Amino acid sequence: MEKKSFFRSESFRSVLASLISIVIGMAVGALIICAVGMTDPSLGASSVGEGIKLVFGGLFSTGRNAQGVLTWGFNSTNIGNMLFRATPLIMTGLSVATAYKTGLFNIGAPGQYLMGTMASLMIALSIPSDKVPPVLIWIIAFAGGTLAGAAWGMISGAMKAFLNINEVIACIMTNWIAANLVTFFFDISNFKNVVENTKSGYIYKTTYNGVATAKLGLDKIFSGSQVNGGIIIAIIIAAGVYILMEKTTLGFQLKACGSNRHAARYAGIKDKRNIVLSMGIAGGLSAAGASLYYLAGNTEFFWSTYQSLPAIGFNGIPVALLALCNPIGVIFAAFFMSMLDICGLQLSNLTAYNEYITNVIIAVIVYLSAFSLFISMLLGKIGKKPETVNANEEKPVINDKTTVAEDAAGKGGNE
Amino acid sequence: MENKQDYVIEMLHITKEFPGIIANDDITLQLRRGEIHALLGENGAGKSTLMSVLFGLYKPEKGEIRKNGEKVTINDPNDATRLGIGMVHQHFKLVEVFTVLENIILGAETTKLGFLQKKEARKKVEELSKKYGLSVDLDAKVEDITVGMQQRVEILKMLYRDNEILIFDEPTAVLTPQEIDELMAVMKNLVAEGKSILFISHKLNEIMQVSDRVTVLRKGKYIDTINTADTTKEELSSMMVGRPVQLVVDKYEAKPGEVVLKVESVCIRSHIHNRDAVHNVSFEVRAGEIVCLAGIDGNGQTEFIYGLSGLDKVSSGKITLCGRDITHAAIADRGHDMSHIPEDRHKHGLVLDFSLEDNMVIQRFNEPMFQHHGFIDKKQVRNYAERLIEQFDVRSGQGPVTITRSMSGGNQQKAIIAREIDRDKALIVAVQPTRGLDVGAIEYIHSQLVAERDRGKAVLLVSLELDEVMGLSDRILVMHNGEIAGEFDPKKTTVEELGLYMAGAKHKKEAE
Amino acid sequence: MTYIIQQTLLYAIPLMIVALAGVFAERSGIINLALEGIMIFGAFIGVLFVNKMQSAEWVIAAKNAKDWMSLQGLEVMAMATAALCGAIFSLLLSFASINLKADQTIGGTALNLMAPALVLFFIRIIANQNTLQMQTGDAASWFMIKKTTLGFSKTDDLGFLGNTFIHRVYLATYICIIVFIILSVILYKTRFGLRLRSCGENPQASDSLGINVYRMRYAGTTISGALAGMGGFVYALTTANCSANGDVAGFGFLALAVMIFGNWKPLNIAGASLLFGLFKCIAAGYSSIDINGDGIYMLAELGISPHIYRMLPYVITLVVLAFTSSKSRAPKAEGIPYDKGKR
Repeated sequence: MEKKSFFRSESFRSVLASLISIVIGMAVGALIICAVGMTDPSLGASSVGEGIKLVFGGLFSTGRNAQGVLTWGFNSTNIGNMLFRATPLIMTGLSVATAYKTGLFNIGAPGQYLMGTMASLMIALSIPSDKVPPVLIWIIAFAGGTLAGAAWGMISGAMKAFLNINEVIACIMTNWIAANLVTFFFDISNFKNVVENTKSGYIYKTTYNGVATAKLGLDKIFSGSQVNGGIIIAIIIAAGVYILMEKTTLGFQLKACGSNRHAARYAGIKDKRNIVLSMGIAGGLSAAGASLYYLAGNTEFFWSTYQSLPAIGFNGIPVALLALCNPIGVIFAAFFMSMLDICGLQLSNLTAYNEYITNVIIAVIVYLSAFSLFISMLLGKIGKKPETVNANEEKPVINDKTTVAEDAAGKGGNE
Repeated sequence: MENKQDYVIEMLHITKEFPGIIANDDITLQLRRGEIHALLGENGAGKSTLMSVLFGLYKPEKGEIRKNGEKVTINDPNDATRLGIGMVHQHFKLVEVFTVLENIILGAETTKLGFLQKKEARKKVEELSKKYGLSVDLDAKVEDITVGMQQRVEILKMLYRDNEILIFDEPTAVLTPQEIDELMAVMKNLVAEGKSILFISHKLNEIMQVSDRVTVLRKGKYIDTINTADTTKEELSSMMVGRPVQLVVDKYEAKPGEVVLKVESVCIRSHIHNRDAVHNVSFEVRAGEIVCLAGIDGNGQTEFIYGLSGLDKVSSGKITLCGRDITHAAIADRGHDMSHIPEDRHKHGLVLDFSLEDNMVIQRFNEPMFQHHGFIDKKQVRNYAERLIEQFDVRSGQGPVTITRSMSGGNQQKAIIAREIDRDKALIVAVQPTRGLDVGAIEYIHSQLVAERDRGKAVLLVSLELDEVMGLSDRILVMHNGEIAGEFDPKKTTVEELGLYMAGAKHKKEAE
Repeated sequence: MTYIIQQTLLYAIPLMIVALAGVFAERSGIINLALEGIMIFGAFIGVLFVNKMQSAEWVIAAKNAKDWMSLQGLEVMAMATAALCGAIFSLLLSFASINLKADQTIGGTALNLMAPALVLFFIRIIANQNTLQMQTGDAASWFMIKKTTLGFSKTDDLGFLGNTFIHRVYLATYICIIVFIILSVILYKTRFGLRLRSCGENPQASDSLGINVYRMRYAGTTISGALAGMGGFVYALTTANCSANGDVAGFGFLALAVMIFGNWKPLNIAGASLLFGLFKCIAAGYSSIDINGDGIYMLAELGISPHIYRMLPYVITLVVLAFTSSKSRAPKAEGIPYDKGKR
């Protein structure tokens, strides 16, 4: 009886729905590879098998042998790089998830990420490392980046709270403003990499100033990869977010505002302050991801970014949705996403296909997660007999969809 | 055996099930041509489901529908319209930003090449409006007209479609006693012109006044159909509820004590128009009395409560609570002396996606009892919620961890009342606390409010139901157009007199 | 001045038509956040169509014979194809949000992720690079209407109006304007428009009057998809030299903002698009704008960084929304899935 109730429980169904989404997403990816491979004579049917294998197991690919056959095995570089790439994804995923739990759709993660990048790079490169110990610089740069992102997030939050501008629109606009601002400031700065001629448009690596994230021995385990201690920090932060949201009064307030702003306000919770705060937290998390990525020492930033927004920011959305906005789930979702990323790279290195197929898979997963509720409802119906309840019980109330609906698209309100 | 031709519409042995609930269990309803037939039942008795079946919105598992004795199939509202069935819904089905004319023609437009031909429509509507005495302003937007006129628009919608079977679903809930009388006259007029009317209500007075026959439903089951002339209010109410009901609230004389709430010349700006929604309102509520703000919906009661509770700004005047000026205080601050049962329990009362226990402490999670250093003490919350649930008999699927969205409306309201009463504040503000509930829940809530009064609490009740106003309150303040139109002693006034003030036909200024 | 008007129109027209796309979806009750994605998709399809057709015999013949009517025909066909595919692509959104009652914001976001991914995947396979271009030539030589195309000689002066509106222009611009007007009339003057709008305001009322809410919402979203797809191609044609690279530079989102700014009303939207087009035009060409014709490029001489100009459209959007959002009025039922069972 106990077991049965777990399989019927809502959380189990949601996890199952997520897994189903992943499977369907991967299947669609495989299908597209098949379709393209079959119709395009230059690719051929044999490439289809290789392509599909790489999409699913690219993490364990070790290249091709002399005969041109794909080889497989434990690839420490791949796994280390997966962890490295997962680090900022965990952070942007947490950012989107936290905002979502508080009723906000944070599509502004790219902008917050850029502001974090700018602040932490500028701090890391401008404090002289011969006077200040690099570890301290790292900490200041990390904190500075986080705060810059938090402040940037608060702008969208304030627009939502005080001016009633839909946060989606506000976030999209601030994204592009951030992209132009960052380009503008780096353009007039002297952080542009002029030492290496081949690197036009890039900012110095932080190692130029002797600043880099501690490796904590991870580079020994995963030799040949870029991994560093950032992943540990990200996991600790995820645990911290979990505690914040589930155990503290602040988290309680934020969630109350997110679920039903009116009821929270009526109960004496300061709704406007909380909206600004939760966008601030979301912004800080995104920006912290940027700091972890660019303070690594082996990454460099392309500063002339005004025409495009960092994909890592947007990818926080699928990570969060896949994780059902659970902070701990975000860690695993980010691992999965960065694994797909690695698979995509293997795919474009080793075959005529390209890495964008993994983006298609991600998009399909997000699409499915839009109606994951529907899927999990469907799962709930399977094997469930209609219970007979007394006819005098009133029907449960299921028609109140306040937050999402009312705030949609910058609706003018009566605040 | 009666002659089948007598019946213009018949619903025979209708059974409709939902997962876990039988909403209609073998129900039969027969409407004679040219009669006003009342359908009586509590909330949740299955009236709406039955009507949805008639309109093809639900497919019944069993039973059939006959028109003029012949079996018909109704798959969607279009079929119902084709059969000449029309309905005035309890919550009007009007598009607020459309004009009255657009609302009337919507779904039955006359067009040429797809383009609307409003002129012809206008002519027809004007004729109808004259014939039945239903005056409306065709070019006004629905959001700008009164509730009474909106109802006339709904009636015209049916007449425009040449419907001959007219269904009125709880049509009087939003009207003043005088408007109700007018509506009754219109209904009789319609019947005289050959229409047949099905009148859904739980208000016994009106049923007695206007209907020819009554069909009673209870808990999804068919009870009986009887001639109105052969029955009494008492008999009908016990048929509806299943037991004898006390129609009057049982309470002792109030013993008013000190002034708890003092409101002085309060004005609140409207968000809809450029005038004051609440204008120059002054009154007092004392400990140990129930004061009721009565009035038609939309006359400033909601705005006043928003101002009182801090959801909205007071533009001028002063509010004193327990000797403290709270005119501009923060919401949480007002909560020290005031608990509040809100009008809209889904919007303001509960966070529907939260568990019952979280909702129980939503105002109090910051108190030392429930948190230490910013971390919530879940055990204390659980204990507290369990106590309230037991004490106030709040029923739910999984106790404290039930998601409140899945609870029935009555139990949601009970949870709010438990929370607010247990906070033990000097003033209790209760806004339409019994709306949409069945008789049992209403009796319970009334008795709780009276008990709180007797414990020396000041109670400010806002209600649209005149029966509730008359039965529960110790003093009545009638609001009209944002002002207090008059103050009454329920023992010395009549529903009719209140109605005149509610409609603005009388005002204390003239009386003085 | 001619330059400013022409450039402004180039930006304003796609914005206007895509904002109208937003109107049709939202007035039927569906928030179409996927405008950006559909534009990207439409741009790709349109460019692909042109690219493939360039090797068709009748097209080559027409090009050689300078038969500009046929080339304009090709342009119109590409627009139609982009519209058709945009409509089909938008069905993904309609299906999720109407039948499966999905969260429309997430559904739209999914389409926004899907479009560039799919498009880039195929472009890489087709063109072996990240941009799909025309096979030969450029948009100007194939599709632009110049005074020589119309039979005037190079030295003829057509006057201000002529120079502005029939020299160096695209037929697509005028088609968009006509489509915009026709659809606006349909929205307000026809039975279909009345019913569509009722579904975005009070679907329960529409349903009770026998209007099929699902069908109306499908219609609204599909029209929306078609317009956005077409707008995407027009954008690619007129501002990206008929090339597609999986990006429309946030135009779809800007169109959403224009729609809100225009209060969901076509006439206001037309005005708003012109305003934003002007700012976009300044951002793109500030260094070559000669406002009063005295040969001095004033904006360039101000010495303000180009990045500031590029920021302007977005900053202005926010400022404008800050002032208008409290008064703006979205369709009441937008974003709320309609469930027939619930009333």
